[in-house]
Amino acid sequence: MSEKEKENVVTEKVVSEADELPKTIVRRVVKDKLSQLSMDSEVSVLRDSLQGFCESARIFIHFLSATANDVCKESNRQIINAEDVFKALEEIEFAEFVPPLRTSLEEFRQKNAKRKSESLKAKETSKKGKKKEPSSTDGVGNKEEDEDEIEEE
Amino acid sequence: MKRAGTYSGILSGGISGRTGPHLLPLARIKKIMKKSSDDVKMISGEAPIVFSKACELLIEEITKRAWNITVQGKRRTICKEDVASAVITTDTFDFLVNLVLDSANSQDSPRP
Repeated sequence: MSEKEKENVVTEKVVSEADELPKTIVRRVVKDKLSQLSMDSEVSVLRDSLQGFCESARIFIHFLSATANDVCKESNRQIINAEDVFKALEEIEFAEFVPPLRTSLEEFRQKNAKRKSESLKAKETSKKGKKKEPSSTDGVGNKEEDEDEIEEE
Repeated sequence: MKRAGTYSGILSGGISGRTGPHLLPLARIKKIMKKSSDDVKMISGEAPIVFSKACELLIEEITKRAWNITVQGKRRTICKEDVASAVITTDTFDFLVNLVLDSANSQDSPRP
């Protein structure tokens, strides 16, 4: 009986794992924080307790999403943006999270802007390269000569 | 040693077309967000990034509080009960109390 119950628990976990946050990443966040907290002694985490961290994060997303959605609706908009999330955090008493999140978002925006400008530059250089190519290639050159012959006639 | 965390982070970044300081996969965060309510339909590109970092901060906060309880008990391994105690003793984690109580009940039931 206990083995069957265990199997059922395992199958339930497998079904819900697709909707949960990946344990490996959650584990890394927990381990990094523990290494900051306990420089001298090594503190480890039981596997079962990792499940608690994953579930907590998932429920937090649910709670924060619903609150951010309400904030968004109050502003008569349909798309939840970052500011809605910041206001929602203040409403659910996680205002202390807002400053580091703003910093993180700003860093992401700057990185994204850099990537966009780099990709635009790359596109421009590739276009310039293509314009120069027709005079050098034989196939295209031959066609041009044929056209000239046709025109002359 | 495989670093599955960073690899999955890169993969998720590739799917969304963005890589950055976030660790948690944006696509999965979006999925969970949409399941939170039928009303949640449209989400800006930046919102999952904020959520990803917010989850990280939450996990760190729970870790810190659970660690305090582990250390007070003169132990070196954080167990589920430490996480539960951290949640129950923190007012801002009230929304997680049901989760903690449910997991405590599920642990008790198989044992006759």
